[in-house]
Amino acid sequence: MHDAKLYRRIAVIAVLLSLVAGAFVLLLLGRNPLMSYYNILQGSGLAPKAKYAAGKAMFTDLASLIDYWTPMIFAALACAVAMKTGLFNIGISGQMLTAGFIATITVGYSSLAPAAAKPLVIIIGMVTGMAVGALIGFLKFKFNINEVVSSIMINYIAEYVISFFIQTRFIDPLSRQSRTVSSAARLTLTDVLIAGYKFNIPLAFGLAIIAAFAVKIVLDRTVLGYELKAVGSNRTAAGYAGIRVGRSMVISMAISGALAGLAGVSYYLGYFASIQPKTLVSTGFDSIAVCLLGNSDPIGILFASFLIQVIGKGSTYMSSQQSVESEIVSVITGLILLFSACSVFFMGIVAARRKRSDAGTSDKAQA
Amino acid sequence: MNINMINNIIIDGMSFSLPLFIMAIGGIFSEKSGITNLALEGLQGMGAFIGALAATLAAAAGAPDASTKVLAFTFAAVGGGLYACLHAVLCIRFKANQVISGVVINILAMALTSFLTKVINRTMFGAASDKFILTVSKRITVPGISSIPVLGAFFTSVYPFEILIIVLAVIAWFVLYKTTFGLRLRACGDNPGAVDAAGGDVAKLHFAGVVISGALSGIAGMCFAYSILAKFSGDIYMGYGYLSIAGYIFGNWSLLPTLAACLIFGFARSSGYQLVKLLGMPSAYSDLVMILPYVLTLLLLVFLSKKNQAPKALGEIYDKSKR
Repeated sequence: MHDAKLYRRIAVIAVLLSLVAGAFVLLLLGRNPLMSYYNILQGSGLAPKAKYAAGKAMFTDLASLIDYWTPMIFAALACAVAMKTGLFNIGISGQMLTAGFIATITVGYSSLAPAAAKPLVIIIGMVTGMAVGALIGFLKFKFNINEVVSSIMINYIAEYVISFFIQTRFIDPLSRQSRTVSSAARLTLTDVLIAGYKFNIPLAFGLAIIAAFAVKIVLDRTVLGYELKAVGSNRTAAGYAGIRVGRSMVISMAISGALAGLAGVSYYLGYFASIQPKTLVSTGFDSIAVCLLGNSDPIGILFASFLIQVIGKGSTYMSSQQSVESEIVSVITGLILLFSACSVFFMGIVAARRKRSDAGTSDKAQA
Repeated sequence: MNINMINNIIIDGMSFSLPLFIMAIGGIFSEKSGITNLALEGLQGMGAFIGALAATLAAAAGAPDASTKVLAFTFAAVGGGLYACLHAVLCIRFKANQVISGVVINILAMALTSFLTKVINRTMFGAASDKFILTVSKRITVPGISSIPVLGAFFTSVYPFEILIIVLAVIAWFVLYKTTFGLRLRACGDNPGAVDAAGGDVAKLHFAGVVISGALSGIAGMCFAYSILAKFSGDIYMGYGYLSIAGYIFGNWSLLPTLAACLIFGFARSSGYQLVKLLGMPSAYSDLVMILPYVLTLLLLVFLSKKNQAPKALGEIYDKSKR
């Protein structure tokens, strides 16, 4: 059996185990797990609800799900690029926030026309994220600072500094969030009327799909991708082979940061149009789960992110229908993460068993 | 700036630094044994959750305040230690990537504790609440010594847990440097093959290191719950676990320099707050002060990470067959 195929099987088992564990908890709380899971599908627009508000339909929810899915694709790709180089970018949330904030105050509050504003938001988001990511890579390469520690520190610094600026300059006194960005700068077209129904159309979704394939091509088919992966699998060996390890780490973190920046603008200037002070979005942390579940492979990530976002999006509806705490969903995501983290072990078991059975067949062949 | 402010800086600084220190000692135990432990954040949160739950139940049952607190710290240590077993099993038995496992433990802790807090509040106390309110800890002032200028502040308004932490720290030092167990644990992180050859059980030592870090982190979490927060809620995840990691990296995995690092974090934080108060700045400015420990951590790491030497076999699980 091929390794990727084996991994896919393990990922499916991890998800099923987590869903079973979640169902068990729901049963303990006296709720119907099947109904709860069906509510999740309803809430995310994959199954029809009993009734809809005027101008809304199942496809409205589905469009909203895609809008919600887009930042997660970028964020998980960001995690994957770093992971392939043996780096762990846990600062995605902070990079998202920084990129979203810079794009908001530069373009979001300007009076630029849509044709100029939207591309500018994307470019500013990418560059800002890239700068933060590259800084973390540089600190690792130049000063040997563990990237996990430095990116967490930068997460908190970004969170508090940006919260300070929002609260002193950009606050909307009613919503207690930053002022809403102009619709010209927003990457999601809101309330577009199609056939009498209102839709939110995420413009960055196409870019996210392109990014997934671009990352796959870069990693699998280019010298750069080869070097990054070589550094990821054995830093010393890569160094002896003449690959500039430090440079690769900085580049990898820069790409990762740029993708995180895209996640940030498609979240703060797309799905939402404002920033909540003193909060880091969970997308950045959930993207780690997505990345692990998708085996750091861009195509795997497309599927994994869809699954995680369906669960996340449907949680509100489920918790209101079943009157159960919506945090159950983050517990399920956490369990998926836990089981995926054991994948190396399970793959090892299968590999050992295969080796044994291979040895067995060759013995027979000799006899 | 008056003497009162200096006293406040010392009092608040100590009550923040010492929990960081005990957590960092836990991290040192784990990492000296060779297991990377980024899970401190989750371990302290889970410990505080279990401790706060025990305290809330005991208080509801009418237990006196002092024994409630003893119970809370005991359960926090046990809860943190048990939850750490998960990290140990993932790393040792399932050979998971230790960095990933640590982060997974943290994310799961956040999800589990906030979910369970709500569920327990609803089902047992019939209240829709996302926190366990705790009584504020009493503070001790040593008569006589406390009236010495400046130095006396170290003996003024001391939380009882600060004394507990100092006692535990001395015990930890003794165990780590004066016992066979400590010697083997430290050897494990540098050369597990040698420990194995000398008849030590590497997996058991790894396990012990991680569980000790869990118990100590649990105590630290309970300290934060009793001092800064006066409750258990999701606010416990403020990144203090990561601060203490930065503390022992800065302290080169040895106890006294780590204490120095934690004191710097604590005093930076408390002097920042006093500064905001002194200059009469609006409360939004306290957000800027909050970043001081984090900025300081980064700066210190810039200057110190290069020459620091992590345990040699850190992050790799010992495989007998590769000896």
